[in-house]
Amino acid sequence: MTETTISALLLTLKTATVATVIVTIPGTLLAYILARYSFPGKDVIATIVGLPLVMPPTAVGYLLLKTFSTHGLLGPETLGFDPEILLTWKAVVVACSVMATPLVVRTARVTFEGVNPRLEVMAQTLGHGRIRTFFFYTLPLASRGLLAAIILGFTRAVGEFGATITIAGNIPGRTQTLSTAIYSAQQVGRDAEAYFLLGVALLVGFAAIMATEYLSRKSPGYLSG
Amino acid sequence: MNTPTPQLRISFSLPLDQFTLQVDYTTAHQVTGVFGVSGAGKTSLLETVAGIRKDAEGVIKLGEETWLNSTDNTYLPPHQRKVGYVPQDNLLFPHQNVRQNLLAGAKRAERNQREIDSLFDRVVQLLDIAGLLSRQIGTLSGGERQRVALGRAICSGPGLLLLDEPLASLDVALRYQILPFLHRMKEEFRIPILLVSHDPVEVQALCDDLLVLKAGRITASGHPREVLTDPDVFPVADREGFQNIFPAIIEAHEQETSTLQMGEDGSSIRIVTPRAAGNPGDRVLVGIPAYDIILGDHEPKGLSARNILQADITNIHSAGTLNLVTVTLGENVPNLVVEITEKSTHEMALEPGKEVHLIIKTASWRLHE
Repeated sequence: MTETTISALLLTLKTATVATVIVTIPGTLLAYILARYSFPGKDVIATIVGLPLVMPPTAVGYLLLKTFSTHGLLGPETLGFDPEILLTWKAVVVACSVMATPLVVRTARVTFEGVNPRLEVMAQTLGHGRIRTFFFYTLPLASRGLLAAIILGFTRAVGEFGATITIAGNIPGRTQTLSTAIYSAQQVGRDAEAYFLLGVALLVGFAAIMATEYLSRKSPGYLSG
Repeated sequence: MNTPTPQLRISFSLPLDQFTLQVDYTTAHQVTGVFGVSGAGKTSLLETVAGIRKDAEGVIKLGEETWLNSTDNTYLPPHQRKVGYVPQDNLLFPHQNVRQNLLAGAKRAERNQREIDSLFDRVVQLLDIAGLLSRQIGTLSGGERQRVALGRAICSGPGLLLLDEPLASLDVALRYQILPFLHRMKEEFRIPILLVSHDPVEVQALCDDLLVLKAGRITASGHPREVLTDPDVFPVADREGFQNIFPAIIEAHEQETSTLQMGEDGSSIRIVTPRAAGNPGDRVLVGIPAYDIILGDHEPKGLSARNILQADITNIHSAGTLNLVTVTLGENVPNLVVEITEKSTHEMALEPGKEVHLIIKTASWRLHE
């Protein structure tokens, strides 16, 4: 195993973790709002959040590239300082976060929709305000589905390629991740390295899907109360 | 524990799909029943009192506390109303075990200066659920769920209990096992209760006051027995006919029968029933269908029936070809209702004030204990 391979794996672990952390809290809140409330523009918000699921990742990457470029909406000129995102590990995090968001929000939303709202009302009649009800009843009731959402989001971040390579590049030792490293190894014919990385990818993916299957199967029928 | 029951005022209108629920009622009885067929608006009424329905207009007050007053835009959300709500489907929390469910409202109980440990112990003992405390909700039977849901509501230290068809989800055998628990709870905790039901037996066993709801309107109200023997209500009451139900105290056991003191302490009426399971001194609920009582106009002799009770007719209601005759037996004893045909009424020349004798077979009594 070469140093760049190890560095790619470590970077993937780091960026996927950071991206998951960034996405989880606002994603969960947004999912709850989408599941429980109706308001004008709700469908538009849900659609925008879901877009990265169906758009070509390179197109999302290109959009991000324009957003963070010198004159972009979040570029150095507009912000007044340089956040140093493009072509750094931060760009990997940005790409992974955007691409993982729809999976997290959609999975979490379906989970919240499966929590019987009458159980929340019940908690309120027992003296719990809205916020306490959310943290002590809604979240625990949704915990399995939310964990599945987080695992799916993390796995999606680990496998992110198109948007990442567009805004972070594929710089060995700096912005090269598991998926871009497989691409490079295959391009130059370093088969052993490609096989090893393929094995890691298989393992992570297998474990993730297994876990979500388990989580959804053992859900104890909350709808029926 | 003999503080007077706080007055409950419900006076509001709530638009529903088919009609507008419109009630205006004030009660200071401990247990007020809301009786009616399904779809009459009973559950919506409870949900409005609990604060779950926010679109009601009017006034809801318990004692000095105002929970809803549309004129000054007062609306307390559910968690600020001291209600213990027991919905028809229990709604126990599946992510908590029985103990955690019972203590789900403990914080509120403490805020209301209730000592939660002793309250918890009393509830567990009264509802006989000590053996269930560490069980998961999914493993409980229907009757156990019902008791836990009831216990959870009481452990939250409510000022008003809202019970939605507490027996409806249970099969008949189980239903009359839960009834005594409800009755004991009523006696022990003295919490005001608003109880929704379409079961006349349940209503009679538990309620001190009854209102009848039909398509969102109150069509009758008063003492449960009076209301349920009202011919206008009778068709609503039950297809099986009127069921008398009243409290009694076990006095002695014989081989296959028991002697019970009918009604409250100090009553002089004794009845012979099938052998009771409890011990002498225990309270039980006794039921008898109105059609299982025979009326005689003089004291009969040489009958195999073990119960012959002297009584006076207080009133006679006509319900189609049947008459419901209400009779009084004495002090501290609930009145009984006897169902006879219109023809018998005429032939025996029955009228209010006339003395009669009730003839009841031992096996006709139903004990709920």
